[in-house]
Amino acid sequence: MLRLLLICLIFIGFTQQAAAISSIQITVGEVNAPVGQLKNAKFQVDLKGAQPTLILNADLKPTNEKEFAHFDLKCGQFLTEQIGQAQCLNGQFKSKQISAPFSVNFVSHPSDFALDIDFNGANFSDEAGLHAGEKLTGQIKMAAKKIISTDTWAWDGLISWTAGELYWQPFYFGKAGNTFEINGTFKQDILNIQNASLLVNEVGKMQATATINIKTKIVEDVKVSAKDVDFAGLYAVFLKPMAEKSAFGNMEVSGKADWKFEIKNFAPTSFELNLRDANIEDKNGKFGFSHINAHIPWDYDEPKNLQLAYKSGHLLKIGLRETKLTAEINRFSLTAPKLDLPVLDGALSLSDVSAVRLGDNWAWHLRLDLVPITLNEFSKALGWPTMKGQISGQIPLVTYANKQLNMDGAMTFNAFSGSISMNDLVIDDPLGVAPRLYADLQMRNLDLGDLTRTFSFGAIEGKLDGDVKDMVLENWKPVQLDASIQTSDGKHLKKISQRAVENITALGGEGTAAALQRTFLRFFKEFNYEKIGLSCKLRQDVCEMGGVESTSTGYIIVKGKGIPAVNVNGYTQKVSLEDLLGRIKRITDSNTKVIVN
Amino acid sequence: MKKLFTVLSLLAATLFSSSWVSAAADLDVNTPAIAAIKNSMQARHAQLSPHYSSGAVGLTADGLVAVRDATAVPLKDRGGINSLVAAENGDRTALYKEIAVGNGHPEWAGEIRSTFAGRWVDKAQSGWYYQNAGGWVKK
Repeated sequence: MLRLLLICLIFIGFTQQAAAISSIQITVGEVNAPVGQLKNAKFQVDLKGAQPTLILNADLKPTNEKEFAHFDLKCGQFLTEQIGQAQCLNGQFKSKQISAPFSVNFVSHPSDFALDIDFNGANFSDEAGLHAGEKLTGQIKMAAKKIISTDTWAWDGLISWTAGELYWQPFYFGKAGNTFEINGTFKQDILNIQNASLLVNEVGKMQATATINIKTKIVEDVKVSAKDVDFAGLYAVFLKPMAEKSAFGNMEVSGKADWKFEIKNFAPTSFELNLRDANIEDKNGKFGFSHINAHIPWDYDEPKNLQLAYKSGHLLKIGLRETKLTAEINRFSLTAPKLDLPVLDGALSLSDVSAVRLGDNWAWHLRLDLVPITLNEFSKALGWPTMKGQISGQIPLVTYANKQLNMDGAMTFNAFSGSISMNDLVIDDPLGVAPRLYADLQMRNLDLGDLTRTFSFGAIEGKLDGDVKDMVLENWKPVQLDASIQTSDGKHLKKISQRAVENITALGGEGTAAALQRTFLRFFKEFNYEKIGLSCKLRQDVCEMGGVESTSTGYIIVKGKGIPAVNVNGYTQKVSLEDLLGRIKRITDSNTKVIVN
Repeated sequence: MKKLFTVLSLLAATLFSSSWVSAAADLDVNTPAIAAIKNSMQARHAQLSPHYSSGAVGLTADGLVAVRDATAVPLKDRGGINSLVAAENGDRTALYKEIAVGNGHPEWAGEIRSTFAGRWVDKAQSGWYYQNAGGWVKK
């Protein structure tokens, strides 16, 4: 350090006697200083012309770097009119990672100094490209004064840039027009930023304080707060880069926000986000909420109460109505005795909610009561044929852990004057790219009249039971199930229309549908039946079909009764699911849609 | 001698079983899960493609992708590159698993992954980077 200082003194001394000397050249083999090492330094001041120039080439190795890096510094116009003052105009600094045209004005007195740097179209990047700037134009002003009594430097600075872009992992500042005003103190390795006022384009004004240990490079304490800033800018610049891998990493947002956080020794200790009349919409369409008012606090040391309210929203295509939620956040867990989520015309009533963050994932469990949602609304939301009935259910325990959702209990759909219940539902990776669902379904006493009218199948009167066992859906498409439907036991009207007979015949395979038309049976509009049944044992894409009874050539789907009796037989034992669904679609599409009210 | 025979037969069994795996596994098996993963990868490819060409992202020896040179990514996209790579690797890992499941042998996932590692390199356009034992290589 001493050697470096000596060289500087020699340099200043010489320049004061410029009249007698036309150029100075100093070559230094090596300089060691606490901040780093300098070697092969060549320093040249040329005073011959009207504008003195300065050139410095050297290899520099900051203490924390492994290798020396070459740099060239040139001042196109170098002025030192008084002792302690230096001006470098039309300067150019070049190294492997920095290219910066600049001008500097430096004024130094024994106990204070001021440094003004103007840069114009500067580029820099570290080796990994994690901190980089391109075409930056702006200003750095810095002044410091030593307070002798306390041996402390008091300093203030202003950084502003008017053009260019900056990436400071993980944040990107693409719009120029940012101004940072900073002041603080420096005493023995501790750099104290007492107040930083950061005006960030598109976001607004933010305040920050920080304490940095220069020697250990540990940022001991950082506090940042922003009041009433634009939520869209705050999200784009600061929140999105941090939420990139979560479900909240790809949203369109608007509204106003307050934001503050505190970091001690690189670990966050507190956080608060307040949203006022904000809107968020997932760009993949998975969720959206409008008119959100929220108070989301978090503190490492003490429990906090979260409040969240929205006017409306949606999860996938299901509409959510006005909701107010409160919960307690305690370090990495969230609990709420009761959360009511109005959904469509009913509600999901969650109780004993408990969630915990484990590493990067959440695990949670809750009790779910479905306040009845009418099927009319539900089917409309999903774009299904309009249905009558309702969905209800109580599920004593819903758990989510290791990306798996489990329901212990049954969800019941009261539809078509009967019931459909879903048991033992498990969904693997529900939000992932290829979710897998496992469940059993039980259908009892479905009214065939309602059902066939809803799906435009041709009228059938009667009651139907069904069981779907070991159902597996991959990406919501069935790949395995053992399904069977058959006429319910008990006394009820059993009639099937000619159209339905034709459609069921078409289900069993092409070509046989016309058979009925060739016989006298075409004069009858409807027939009595004893039993209807169809089964499908699906493995991957192949469905092994069956009916109410087996015959030597196939199976019976509709077993007729009385006179005239019509039997509908199926002959195709194995059919690809794609073909079967195609047939059903063709049948229901070709019939007029009937809406059940 | 008996020991030598045991070693040889074990060796033969290992060689036989591993070549049998790659011969028997249907890498083009299609299930709804595989179709969903392939769709997701295809949609992402338009975003990744310029980064393969610029050398910012390369193909690793274990059938995944990695950021090779972040400085080749425009500043505005630099923050997103890590999550893009993470999402792609999530899909690739799921794809190997699902192909193994689709073949009825979940335990084949590792073998399928190494076969795919070679496939990706074969399919790569010239100028793209891939990793071998010596490090990054430009195709």
